[in-house]
Amino acid sequence: MNNEWQGFKKGNWCKKIDVRDFIVKNYTPYTGDKSFLAGPTKRTSEVKAKVDDLLVKEAEKGVLDVDTENVASILSFAPGYIDKDKDIIVGLQTDAPLKRAINPFAGKRMCEKACEAYGYEMSDKIRSEFRYRTTHNDGVFRVYTDEMRAARHVGVITGLPDAYARGRIIGDYRRIALYGMDYLIECKKADKKELGKNDMTAENIQLIEDVQKQLEFMSALKEMAAQYGYDISRPAANAREAVQWLYFGYLGAVKEQNGAANSIGRISTFLDIYIERDLKNGTLTEEGAQELIDDLVLKLRLVRHLRTPEYNDLFAGDPTWVTTSEGGMCVDGRPMVTKNCFRILQTLYNLGSSAEPNITILWAKDLPQGFKNFCAQVSVDTDSIQYENDDVMRPLFGDDYAIACCVSAMKVGKQMQFFGARCNLAKVLLMALNGGKDEIYGIQVAPEGKVFDEGVLDYEQVLKAYKKYMKWMAKLYVNTLNIIHYMHDKYAYERLMMSLHDTEVERLMAFGVCGLSVLADSLSAIKYAKVRAIKDERGLITDFETVGDFPKYGNDDDRVDKIAQWIVESFYKELVKTPTYRGAKHTLSILTITSNVVYGKKTGSTPDGRKRGEPFAPGANPMHGRDCEGALASLNSVAKLRYSCCQDGISNTFSITPDTLGENEEDRIAKLTTMLDGYFAQDAHHLNVNVLQRQKLIDAMNNPSLYPNLTIRVSGYAVNFNKLNKNQQQEVINRTFHEKF
Amino acid sequence: MATNRPTANIHSFESLATLDGAGVRYGIFFVGCPFRCVYCHNPDTWTGEGQRFTVDELAKKVVRYKPYFGKDGGVTLSGGEVLVQSAFVAAFEKRMKKEGIGVVLDTSGSVTLTKDVKAAIDGAETVILDLKFWDDEHYRKYCGGGISTVLDTLEYCEQKNVPVWIRTVIVPGINDKEECIDKYADIVRGHKCVKRYQLLAFHTMGFSKYEKLGIKNPLEGTPAMDRKRLDQLTSYLESKEIVNND
Repeated sequence: MNNEWQGFKKGNWCKKIDVRDFIVKNYTPYTGDKSFLAGPTKRTSEVKAKVDDLLVKEAEKGVLDVDTENVASILSFAPGYIDKDKDIIVGLQTDAPLKRAINPFAGKRMCEKACEAYGYEMSDKIRSEFRYRTTHNDGVFRVYTDEMRAARHVGVITGLPDAYARGRIIGDYRRIALYGMDYLIECKKADKKELGKNDMTAENIQLIEDVQKQLEFMSALKEMAAQYGYDISRPAANAREAVQWLYFGYLGAVKEQNGAANSIGRISTFLDIYIERDLKNGTLTEEGAQELIDDLVLKLRLVRHLRTPEYNDLFAGDPTWVTTSEGGMCVDGRPMVTKNCFRILQTLYNLGSSAEPNITILWAKDLPQGFKNFCAQVSVDTDSIQYENDDVMRPLFGDDYAIACCVSAMKVGKQMQFFGARCNLAKVLLMALNGGKDEIYGIQVAPEGKVFDEGVLDYEQVLKAYKKYMKWMAKLYVNTLNIIHYMHDKYAYERLMMSLHDTEVERLMAFGVCGLSVLADSLSAIKYAKVRAIKDERGLITDFETVGDFPKYGNDDDRVDKIAQWIVESFYKELVKTPTYRGAKHTLSILTITSNVVYGKKTGSTPDGRKRGEPFAPGANPMHGRDCEGALASLNSVAKLRYSCCQDGISNTFSITPDTLGENEEDRIAKLTTMLDGYFAQDAHHLNVNVLQRQKLIDAMNNPSLYPNLTIRVSGYAVNFNKLNKNQQQEVINRTFHEKF
Repeated sequence: MATNRPTANIHSFESLATLDGAGVRYGIFFVGCPFRCVYCHNPDTWTGEGQRFTVDELAKKVVRYKPYFGKDGGVTLSGGEVLVQSAFVAAFEKRMKKEGIGVVLDTSGSVTLTKDVKAAIDGAETVILDLKFWDDEHYRKYCGGGISTVLDTLEYCEQKNVPVWIRTVIVPGINDKEECIDKYADIVRGHKCVKRYQLLAFHTMGFSKYEKLGIKNPLEGTPAMDRKRLDQLTSYLESKEIVNND
């Protein structure tokens, strides 16, 4: 047994890579309350003040600095520090805090545009290095068909990771702390040797090459750590090393990859085992433990990628989705809540509220009440965390999964995801009415079909046409993603992140939809009211006149909620009919992030009364202001969407004023925990919780300098309100706030 | 047979009513009220025909929210004046009892204590009772009805041991003096059934409803009650220790 493992309970994890076994055998569930927690140390506050200064400067300029000379990679930059003498956990993406790196592997043009947008120019050195190099983006566009290009152009499929890195992959960074790099390298070499015994099919050759790429970056990571003065070839010997080793892994990953979301996984309970051991040995105090976590989180808050303004329109607020996963239950019935889950939440007090890391609570009916209460308190105080239902995910993913990005569950180190952005189902309806033509550009995108006549729309006929175009959409969408991920594997493979996965990894292909509530209400209007289609001078249906009332999604009314259910279930059924690249499992999400604004902009008027260009509701939310029976009715409607066909997540964002939630903080906490229990007991999947006054957001829009740290949950992540553009701010303000006079 | 089942005339629903009773509650607003309080913020519930529901239909709606109620929550019946439809309420309470859901009545006490009204009160886990003024004269002036039914309701709850929360809306210039609080306290004092006494701030958010309905708003121009002043009055009320905290 390794010296570093002294005091740990042995198990299968000692014989092979099995982090879950290590956790389950060694963690100490914590069922108490928050009273043990420590505040920030003097050192933490000093370093935090330094970071705050930099953040102010960054906010003024958009980006603080860009390194235009070196291409991002694990070893491209000299070690960087916030404060070399005071940093406890070390390591930055470049040689200085908030300095962004150029990462052209997924797409060169995006980098050039991003540099220009902030007044920088990509150096000749980088240009010449990439002149003869194929990027992921080049590869994809070599193969895209005309139909795919058209669908992408009009925005019926959109946000595709074809010009930037795909992200959403979680390396099992814990492996580095538990085993050290040398053992992990040894295991990969053995895997490669085994693969060499197989027939050399295309699949096998590809996998062997993958493993060789992984091995190269595993060595590079050791070297990176050595530059900071650490030897990570061996396991971590104490809590500080465990945090540092793990963070080096994550840091290497975000140096190499600039995917939209690079999440860190389920780390708190793992690290708690090391902290508990040190606390027992008397080599660490609670204050010291909190300081370690505070310093880790401070580093995670500094993760940055260089993005274009267009990208920021889609994913507002410069998010990086350093999602953490807290709590949940062990399959053996014990809560996986440890003191360290509390410590992560405590960083929102010690360091102030923040959008990153994206703290996600894996909520379960049987979580200890003390933890539930603290989570609710953090929501009421900071609006910075989100909740996902462990009781629906655990049966599918076990007890060692984590959330990537917003709502995507995956088994850590055992599953990876091919991120697929989303397609616009509301737009598909307009295409179905217009015989496959796009209602805005007027061009033929889908196969030519019957254009509906002017006058009252017949529900059965509309449904029949919709089914036909939904089938077309699903097939095109799967095939488009197949190309994207083939090329990403080929030209921008995640060498380090994948080295921290099992070699025989299970792949998920994550499809998504937007416009669910618009489509459900539109079909409901056609079915229950009278909707008259109106054609424009091009002969395309671009407007509607609706007479009479109709049931609206968000009021716990089965007449329309069943339509919403039907939409996602039948779209999923269509998706699985087309095979995926590398045999990935099809999954589906209802998630828009902040892009519901952009999708709305690109979509014509719809039969539900929404006018051309108006935003969609985010994620699976009912449309703004249409949920008129109050908050719980709205939650009940969303809870009817089945996780079984949306295993990549169903995002719901909920905003309530403090006075409506309860009379005082204690009352608000009690009511919020009861509400969360009630929502998740119905097998609902996800909830963002904001407890704040609408007026506060209006003030912040007008006087941003008075609210530098105002954080709110949007769809699957949190943002600093000031980082949203005016359209996005206005849309957030227009969202239904549950309030009572 | 079906046509003979009692139905309720319902104005609206609020699926998250957190302020009217303990815990997370489902709020149902009944149509109809004998009072015409000058500061009413729901004039749209006074009269008219809302949606009709049988006991079964209404129960079906409420049961959907059972997962949220926890150990304290339940349903709150409000209005309008819920006890105007007391026969329905009593039947509905029986049904809720079967479902294990507690019922809170939010009443102005404006209804005569008939057999049905008594049955409705008997079936409630808590009665939230408005005590709008301290004497008949003020009631007649500001509410368009008398105080006697209000006092009868309070006495009946005391007699039957039904827990009561008293509520009083404080309106600037009408009842925002310490001596008003003295008079309210004199009425409430000595009632073991009173578990809570809340003062609520008059607000102007209901004003738009008057405009919409084309009803003259008697308090047009009256400002919202100042929060700080309300807190002072609340402290003053609490110092009198008239509430039964057992």
